[in-house]
Amino acid sequence: MNKPSCLHIDPRTGLLLLVMSNILAFIQPSFPLELGWIIFLCLLTALCGCGKAAVKWLLVFGLILCLQFYILPASPKLIATGCSIFANYTRRMLSCAIVGMLMVKRTPLRELIVGLRTWHFPQKLIVAVSVTLRYFPAIREETGYIRDAMKLRNIHGLQKVEALVVPLMISATSTAEELSAAAVTRGIENPAPKTSVVELRLNAADWTCIVTGVLFTAASYLTS
Amino acid sequence: MSSNRLSRGLNGKDLITVGIFSAVYFVINFAFMLLSALHPILWILMPGFIAVFSGIPFLLMCTKVQKPGGVLLMGVITGLIYFVTGMFTVIILVTFVIACALAELSRAMMKYASFKGNLAAFVMFSLGMTGSPLPIWLTRDSFFAQISSQGMPESYIETLKAISSPTMLIVLFAAPVIGAFIGAYIAKGMFKKHFIKAGIV
Amino acid sequence: MISIENVSFGYSGEKGTLRDITLRIKDGECVLLCGESGCGKTTVTKLINGLIPHFTDGCSLAGKVSAEGLPVDETELYELAKRVGSVFQNPKSQFFNLDSDSELAFGLENQGADPAFIRTRLKETIQNLQLTSLQGRNIFSMSGGEKQLLAFASVYTMNPAVFVLDEPTANLDEDAVTRLGEQIRLLKRQGHTVIIAEHRLWFLSGLIDRAVFLKDGKIARSFTGAQFFSLPERERIGMGLRALTPSSGSLPSALPCGTAEGLSVEGLTCGFGREEPVFRSLSFSAVTGEVLAVCGKNGVGKTTLTRCLCGLTRERAGAVRLSGKLFNRKQRTRAAFCVMQDVNHQLFSDSVMGECLLADPDCTNARAEDVLNLFGLLLFRDKHPMALSGGQKQRLAVATAVLSGKELLIFDEPTSGLDYAHMMEVSSIIRKLAKEGRIVLIVTHDRELIHCACDRVLEL
Repeated sequence: MNKPSCLHIDPRTGLLLLVMSNILAFIQPSFPLELGWIIFLCLLTALCGCGKAAVKWLLVFGLILCLQFYILPASPKLIATGCSIFANYTRRMLSCAIVGMLMVKRTPLRELIVGLRTWHFPQKLIVAVSVTLRYFPAIREETGYIRDAMKLRNIHGLQKVEALVVPLMISATSTAEELSAAAVTRGIENPAPKTSVVELRLNAADWTCIVTGVLFTAASYLTS
Repeated sequence: MSSNRLSRGLNGKDLITVGIFSAVYFVINFAFMLLSALHPILWILMPGFIAVFSGIPFLLMCTKVQKPGGVLLMGVITGLIYFVTGMFTVIILVTFVIACALAELSRAMMKYASFKGNLAAFVMFSLGMTGSPLPIWLTRDSFFAQISSQGMPESYIETLKAISSPTMLIVLFAAPVIGAFIGAYIAKGMFKKHFIKAGIV
Repeated sequence: MISIENVSFGYSGEKGTLRDITLRIKDGECVLLCGESGCGKTTVTKLINGLIPHFTDGCSLAGKVSAEGLPVDETELYELAKRVGSVFQNPKSQFFNLDSDSELAFGLENQGADPAFIRTRLKETIQNLQLTSLQGRNIFSMSGGEKQLLAFASVYTMNPAVFVLDEPTANLDEDAVTRLGEQIRLLKRQGHTVIIAEHRLWFLSGLIDRAVFLKDGKIARSFTGAQFFSLPERERIGMGLRALTPSSGSLPSALPCGTAEGLSVEGLTCGFGREEPVFRSLSFSAVTGEVLAVCGKNGVGKTTLTRCLCGLTRERAGAVRLSGKLFNRKQRTRAAFCVMQDVNHQLFSDSVMGECLLADPDCTNARAEDVLNLFGLLLFRDKHPMALSGGQKQRLAVATAVLSGKELLIFDEPTSGLDYAHMMEVSSIIRKLAKEGRIVLIVTHDRELIHCACDRVLEL
């Protein structure tokens, strides 16, 4: 997951950058600030080892600007009305999406959990979210098996929906039983504060990001 | 000696059950969210579509976790995932928390084991997703300032104003209510046909 | 020290899952709980690790259980977890985390142990259990055997005094089973108490101090380890137990390709995406009337071969012929059926009868009833398929294959976790299917099944 030569940001930094991007999405900064923030985030993405993604995001931004200023005003009504709200929304949320994608790709789940714990998120919430995230790949696996079985049984059309849903739910129920047994017999209900072998520390890179973010947010607010 | 320990708080098994069914709910939710990106009208109706198809995991969770907190947890998990991946603004967390608080109230009032109580809870819960298209109304003015500066023709602006009108705001909130009724009854049918017979509830 | 005194237990609505059980296990002892399916051995393990009564709603429990000096019914599960570690049988649903490192540290992190101590324990665990290949891995990329090893290691890291193992070998190949035996030997050397509920017995020879045989919820017989493993064949079959010694003897290998009446696989190469092929240029035949066993270590390509033969994966090179005719992917999907390891993925209707009609919409009720009768399922015709027992579900899946007229049947690990009687039942169904003119392949690690049901072996 993490290449040794790249920058590695703390999950808490990621969350703070996310919050700031959200604020900027509402404040609507002037164009130079908006562009500056996006370039900064793409730079961060590239430094964290996702160079290709950084380039793609910049292209997407360029594409949205073209859409908004050249293509859509000249398009037939249906397309223009359909796409302009979407284009506007995507442009605002672009910085959030950049940070979000960076977190998904470069933050291991165990670090995120420890990060949330240091911020005193309720332990019960952390447990439930961990289980949800851990179950996504299992859903994909189960769906694969069920679809294979459906092919062998020659199940068609609308029947497929019912045929997929029922075994999936039943499997979810039995997994919940078995996983709970395995978790409680390893002490998950222990009220003592949980510890971790993972140690999180904010380093210079993290602080740089946070300070930059605060500066951008303040500047946007003051110039709005 | 019989052991029937119903502690009021969510224990380990409850948390894991909620977590797993939240994952299933999220997958269904996400699939319809993607589909609705095609047109703003679809986006406004999206919470309604999701409600029609997501009754099953919600009601299964309700049947298995007959305690306060399950619904709130499911809503917060969904909102958190959407927020942290940068797909939606923090507004979705706000709407989910409000919707889930109302849902928990319905369940508490109907004592957790009744279908009507869970149906009411599902209606409230489904309103949580309205936080996704809600920014259309919240940022209306700056949106119109921006698109006229882009050189959009007047007639287009009129249509867009219609989409973000107060009437559509009512549609935004009405769709999940209707959708949730449909979704809950579909789920009830599935319960009768399969889940109760199979013995998992 | 585990003490179970006069315990009687029933799940909600049932009586007599356990009847007046008294059992005392000393420190450092290794005890085997064995018996037919449903005899209560898993239930006894739940008494020891506290899942009964803390995890089971609406049941009735009488009697006293204490583990390591703690009364189980009054001690919180997380306190018991420090002293009693549990390993379960399904590797897929034992993992709380996505990566192996988190999973290993999970138990101690829950206890709130000092991080430096956790790191030391992790190092010890990795060294003692030889786990270097499992470090830093995504759990979903691990094989079944690796997952079970990780589950065991995760409990080992917590260093409980007592280990409770509930059918840990259910999904493992022979190598993994032997490895588990080694781990139990290590536990014994280190003075842990081990309680193991199992069907597969041959690997425990020389490891157990005592064997407790349960029947219908009561302790019927008790043996020392030596006595148990010298039980005569006839007696152990009478008790419904699996083989006590590893099966020996071998079967002739598979026929070369080119048969005119049956399955002929010629130069088959299969793989995933752009990766290296899982196997190259595989050629063999399986004729009707004979049962072919497909064996090999985990990861060697048995599942890939099965999927390819059923038309679920495309082949990269080679050909598959049935009765001399070339069958492409789509045709194979129509002609073949696989009874999967987890048969819960294959049943779709809301009644057993409905499942049959789904398999063959044109068949008459009478024909469906005939087939159900053959498989001993007629009594359950209105039951929901998911409410049946594991063995019944398996037979129903086979019934659907028979009704849809499939000529190629592949069974994927049909006997994992089955006791002697059920294994023999599966064996006779397989033989019958082959005799009726179908081509039958069995992918399995179970040597006993191979000897009872198969005629030839294909070693991948």
